[in-house]
Amino acid sequence: MILEILSIGLIISACLALFLDEVVYSVAALSGTFLFTALLYFENGAPYAAIFQFVVGVGTLAILFLSGEMLSDKTTKKTSHTKLSALIGAGAVLSLPAIFLSVSSSTGTYYSTTFGNALWNLSGVDVILQALVLLTVALGIAIILYERKSGGK
Amino acid sequence: MDFVILSLVMLAIGIYGLLTNRQLLKVFISIELIATAATLNFVMLASSTGQGLGQAFLILAFSTDTAVSAVVLALLVIVTKKYGTSNINEILKIQEKKDSEAEQ
Repeated sequence: MILEILSIGLIISACLALFLDEVVYSVAALSGTFLFTALLYFENGAPYAAIFQFVVGVGTLAILFLSGEMLSDKTTKKTSHTKLSALIGAGAVLSLPAIFLSVSSSTGTYYSTTFGNALWNLSGVDVILQALVLLTVALGIAIILYERKSGGK
Repeated sequence: MDFVILSLVMLAIGIYGLLTNRQLLKVFISIELIATAATLNFVMLASSTGQGLGQAFLILAFSTDTAVSAVVLALLVIVTKKYGTSNINEILKIQEKKDSEAEQ
């Protein structure tokens, strides 16, 4: 029962995050999405994933609140109660397929891997991903510097 | 309760928001939702088969996702400061006006 409630909350908060007019309220709804995702992970026996989701979510939300305050137009109209209730209703309806439908899954043989072993086995992938992240950051900095240089001329 | 369908619904909501929203910050929120849907699928499938692999994948996905988010947000702030708005349509209009002025 608790998983169904969490999934309904997850979909409703995702709908609110996307379609509320004020950016700050959208970010507040996104915090609900992250919280419900973390709770779903925890309820399904993935505590490390829940903790990481929560910590990364808090960091992302802090930055999003700041940038939302900086970038949002102050003249945007407020969301009406009708739209708010329509969004909540749409979210509740959209979460129904996840509760009542199910896709058939094959019953294969799975070898169990502990979290620590999985992390160690994936350390090579981790190094490659870190290299990709550094490359992305370097590319971003290069683009910004190039724009600044060409804008200065 | 099926988590594959749940993550599919999340993915659909994210893609719909990505296509319909014109505010840059909302577009970024849509991308975050799509990333959340993908990681939800990973973790739920792995935890249902009793493997820790999904959680390890989640941590790797988060590390890249956070770095990409930081770069995207920095670019977003620069674009908004340059054009004075965060609406994609208005940015396109301003850029078209600048291009036509440069041609003349």
